Amino acid sequence: MSDATANGIADTAATRKPRRDIGINKRYAAERRFKAYGIIAIAIGLLFLVALLWSIFSKGYTAFWQTEIRVPITFSEQVLGTPQQANESQTKLLMANYPKLAREGLIKELGIDPDDKKAVSAASGLISSGTRVTLRNIVMNDLSVIGTTQDVWLYASSELDSAMKGQYDLSVPENRRPISDLQLQYIDKLKAAGNLEQRFNTGLFTFGASSRAETAGVGVAIIGSLYMMLIVLALALPIGVAASIYLEEFAPKNKFTDLIEVNINNLAAVPSIVFGLLGLAVFINWFHLPRSAPLVGGLVLTLMTLPTIIIATRAALRAVPPSIRWAALGLGASKNQTIFHHVLPLAAPGILTGTIIGLAQALGETAPLLLIGMVAFVADYPATPMEPATALPVQIYMWANEAERAFVERTSGAIIILLGFLAIMNVTAIFLRRRFERRW
Amino acid sequence: MMENLQASFNKGPSVDSSKPIKMKTKDVTVHYGQKQALNGITLNIPENQVTALIGPSGCGKSTYLRCLNRMNDTIDSAKVAGEILLDGEDVYDPDIDVVELRARVGMVFQKPNPFPKSIYDNVAYGPKIHGLAHSKQELDEVVHTSLRRAGLYKEVHDRLDEPGTGLSGGQQQRLCIARAIAVSPEVILMDEPCSALDPIATATVEELIDELRENYTIVIVTHSMQQAARVSQLTAMFHLGDLAEVGPTEKMFSNPGDKRTQDYITGRFG
Ligand SMILES: Nc1ncnc2c1ncn2[C@@H]1O[C@H](COP(=O)(O)OP(=O)(O)OP(=O)(O)O)[C@@H](O)[C@H]1O
Ligand SMILES: [Mg+2]
Repeated sequence: MSDATANGIADTAATRKPRRDIGINKRYAAERRFKAYGIIAIAIGLLFLVALLWSIFSKGYTAFWQTEIRVPITFSEQVLGTPQQANESQTKLLMANYPKLAREGLIKELGIDPDDKKAVSAASGLISSGTRVTLRNIVMNDLSVIGTTQDVWLYASSELDSAMKGQYDLSVPENRRPISDLQLQYIDKLKAAGNLEQRFNTGLFTFGASSRAETAGVGVAIIGSLYMMLIVLALALPIGVAASIYLEEFAPKNKFTDLIEVNINNLAAVPSIVFGLLGLAVFINWFHLPRSAPLVGGLVLTLMTLPTIIIATRAALRAVPPSIRWAALGLGASKNQTIFHHVLPLAAPGILTGTIIGLAQALGETAPLLLIGMVAFVADYPATPMEPATALPVQIYMWANEAERAFVERTSGAIIILLGFLAIMNVTAIFLRRRFERRW
Repeated sequence: MMENLQASFNKGPSVDSSKPIKMKTKDVTVHYGQKQALNGITLNIPENQVTALIGPSGCGKSTYLRCLNRMNDTIDSAKVAGEILLDGEDVYDPDIDVVELRARVGMVFQKPNPFPKSIYDNVAYGPKIHGLAHSKQELDEVVHTSLRRAGLYKEVHDRLDEPGTGLSGGQQQRLCIARAIAVSPEVILMDEPCSALDPIATATVEELIDELRENYTIVIVTHSMQQAARVSQLTAMFHLGDLAEVGPTEKMFSNPGDKRTQDYITGRFG
């Protein structure tokens, strides 16, 4: 007995009718074609992405290294005054001629005659004038160094740094490059003695604005951006979610709420610079909040982010199946209980995604911040959100306008840092979504 | 002519008069926007009885059921008119809060809709929000009894903390019934509770309905004539938004008074 007849039905294969042509091949061909288009589209997208990342990383990774020179520094009492004097008054210490200490140390190291003006100036061109701060901090932290000689790693000048990173063409005639033959000799000498190294550039993360590339960093910008993100999160999330819940669940459906809805959707499409003008007019000119302050920046970005969050939250609320609401309402839960016990938890992943997208947008926003004066030269950390600061994208914008080679790499470096923060935010979003999302 | 006959039949003594009336609707009409879905339904629902609503699809059974606990309020386009009384009190009376009404008139929906929470939390939710249990033990007690009464306890007693949405369709429906009776309502409305169930689960639910009748008043929508015959004492036949006929179930099935009922239960349309 074959299987076909096991249940009493005769095998009809032998008598099967000829197949109808219902266009199967054409349908599959269409499917294959569409798949091919999709793959091509993704490939093109990936290509652009790789090109973008490559151009940024290849230019920017060097910014995370900084050439430093080890110099034996004699903290002479002649220049600094005695520790007793320093204890009485710090003015002398603050005003002391630190570059002289650095210069003398380097001259001694290289064995240059102090009277050879040309050689001395060539040598001192190798160290950054930012060493003033480095040396001052050492002395101020520990007065006992006065009168001793210590090996100190000093920042190299940006010309030396760029030369070390191969950013200058050294084969052109001497007068057409920023680094002289004499300096190249010194560099070789320092390198041979192990006194010249590329070290990890922590300053890029901690310094504020500076006109010298080697002491310029995104520290102030990071703090400014952080303050603004906190303000945006603290304001936009509760306001946005509350507004969405009201509009979606409580508001009567009439012309007026329709108007509000249309306006919110339009607001999401308003160019960000308009929000900057609004911030300038309202927060600075009217409320007299300080210019360049992260507080104002945060408020402007909050306005900008609100529509995004509201739209995302409303979509997330609407996506909660109505049967869940009925279940709760049918049990006698009040509207509020239904929303807060059932609807909101189910909408949370969507709300989170929308919020993070909004925050990421705000983090990368530049134009409105330019208008409220955040494009400023701020060297000191802001202690409160009321003090001047810049933001990461603004810092990138400012550095991109500098001509110096060392700033070009720093621009890309800052972009990498910004992308890093965005990546962290997205990973956080995914992580949070996983935690909130209950797929049951 | 026909209308008159109809009206007199409705107002007649066909409703089981030995039981007091739990819910009463007078001339209830419902509009969805411009479209009228119910054209003046007058019906008495006796206490501790099972009332079955039958009729072809789209005739307004679910709509009528939703009137009884004001679930139509949640549909923006729905406009309800007429009188709906629970123990003689108008459910739209400002004295009766809709939350309180729904705690007294529970509902089981056509499609099982457990919360995406644990089995335990599903059943415990109602008692929790109404403050019906004062301690963990009391709450446990309520949850266990409700599950037992819904005939689900044996199957799930060792996994109460697992998601309710992970149960099979029939188990989910019984979970929803357990959830509804955990609040100890006075009336339970069931909208085709067995439409997704296999015959065995259906039998369990029907038994349950029969038991529940002792303590609760039950209104059930069903498409199965057999089910209506098995579980209900009173049957109301809806047709295109009208109440075609209402009477004791036995009489309805043995000797229908209305042509439409006759056609419907013999399967000539619907
Ligand atoms: N939310 C709604 N919005 C608009 N019209 C509706 C809505 N719900 C029901 N209706 C309409 O009201 C009428 C009655 O619907 P109802 O759901 O009460 O029928 P039913 O008797 O329960 O049918 P079924 O047996 O198929 O469930 C139908 O014509 C339907 O199209
Ligand atoms: Mg229905």
